[in-house]
Amino acid sequence: MGEADRDSIAAYNYPRFDEYVAAGSDMADEDAFRASPWAGQRAADFTLPRLGDGAQVSLSSLWRSKPLVMEFGSFT
Amino acid sequence: MFIYTREAHPGENIGQHESFERKLACAKLLAEEAGISREILVDDLGGTVHRAYGLMPNMSWVIGHGGRVAYKANWTSAANVEAFLGRFLAGQAGHPPGTSPVPYETQQAEFRYTDRKRFMQDLLRNGPRAVAEFEKAQQLWAARAAT
Repeated sequence: MGEADRDSIAAYNYPRFDEYVAAGSDMADEDAFRASPWAGQRAADFTLPRLGDGAQVSLSSLWRSKPLVMEFGSFT
Repeated sequence: MFIYTREAHPGENIGQHESFERKLACAKLLAEEAGISREILVDDLGGTVHRAYGLMPNMSWVIGHGGRVAYKANWTSAANVEAFLGRFLAGQAGHPPGTSPVPYETQQAEFRYTDRKRFMQDLLRNGPRAVAEFEKAQQLWAARAAT
């Protein structure tokens, strides 16, 4: 992993919410949402591990036969 | 399906992820304490999937079979998702004789109503500094709104 990757991961995983807001990063996130694929456009496919058994699951395998509802979130 | 992201309001008790193992542990905590029985996929430490879909902390997406975006909301309303899915599935199932289905898009403003007492309790569970940092953020939002 390069230094740029480490910086990018550190920026994503912000340690302090107030500093994140003070830097305007919350507004940048809103812009990122607006710039993300819109209705009718192709959704990006990724493969992620499933909690519990660690199985690698592709998003496309979940939307292949029926609509997929995806909610994003965290414990906090 | 649920995609586990970075922590939105890290504190002393539930800190931000310093490793993927820590992120997995937090996802397990969510599954256990919030009783989420849906399949949970855990994004990588750099938030690759979260970035691709727009970085909001609690957004919802519906992807139609075939892989095209059918619905996106920058905050989750289970009622809205459910209502949309009902219309979407009904639209795919058929249409009145003599009509042709023509897709169109909408964008609309919605309101959400936070239970402030419960939210502050959750922040305190994350750690006292999560409360202090949110209160500072509120001041910053108020200053932004005033300009």
